[in-house]
Amino acid sequence: MYLRDIGPTEIGGFGISNADDLLLIEDIQLVRQTCSVTSVEFDDASVADFFDSQVDAGRQPEQFARVWVHTHPGASPSPSQTDEETFSRCFGGVDWCVMHILAEEGNTYTRARFNVGPGTDRRLRCRTVLDCEFPATDHEKWFEEYCENVTVFDPFASRRSAIDLYDDADWWQQPPTAADLWSDRLFEVGR
Amino acid sequence: MKVLLISNDAGGYAHHVEAPDNTTVQQMFERHVGAFHAESYLIRVNRQPAAADQLLRDGDRVSFTPQKIEGAA
Repeated sequence: MYLRDIGPTEIGGFGISNADDLLLIEDIQLVRQTCSVTSVEFDDASVADFFDSQVDAGRQPEQFARVWVHTHPGASPSPSQTDEETFSRCFGGVDWCVMHILAEEGNTYTRARFNVGPGTDRRLRCRTVLDCEFPATDHEKWFEEYCENVTVFDPFASRRSAIDLYDDADWWQQPPTAADLWSDRLFEVGR
Repeated sequence: MKVLLISNDAGGYAHHVEAPDNTTVQQMFERHVGAFHAESYLIRVNRQPAAADQLLRDGDRVSFTPQKIEGAA
């Protein structure tokens, strides 16, 4: 919820599962992404870097690459056609995967897909486990992770993409980050 | 030769696999993922994008990761 509320856009990441209970998500890792009020798009190279870093950390793909998490701006967590296409295209070859969508007012949509045998989809009930340690809770680090990975794309501010804006800028300039564009709000949330 | 293969497909790979000498990236992909949907993956060798005909070497790290993960409301 911290990541959902920190900026004005959608946001997404990968759930990191407990090694002994793959449906127990202990952390959410962001990758570089371009986000608007109604969309989120992961950077492909950053996804690959994420896989590399997780493997280097000793995890298997089933622990870090099966639970796709993203937010919706309104109160409806129902998956869009884009969500469904991504779920099928990017996770259709794995044994199992989960799409989790967090919307406003705490509404959630969680669905597991099993691609073995005849294959099946099953809605899951999402709940927060409070009776175990949760060392990943660190608002300061979350804030830094957000600023490092999220580029806000405001289609109403420009018809060009954030990448185009970056191309026109001096080569040493970084693309605008969420912190650049929404600093006042971010600092209020991150305080 | 042995290469470290990282892929989320099927049960997921993150371990060393044996491959014949002169195996290309494309052959490795087809062996472990399939002959289709290559365009849906970012294929890298040693963290760099790789061509289909690139020959693998002992100790290489090969990753097949999904592309264009996007959501919308």
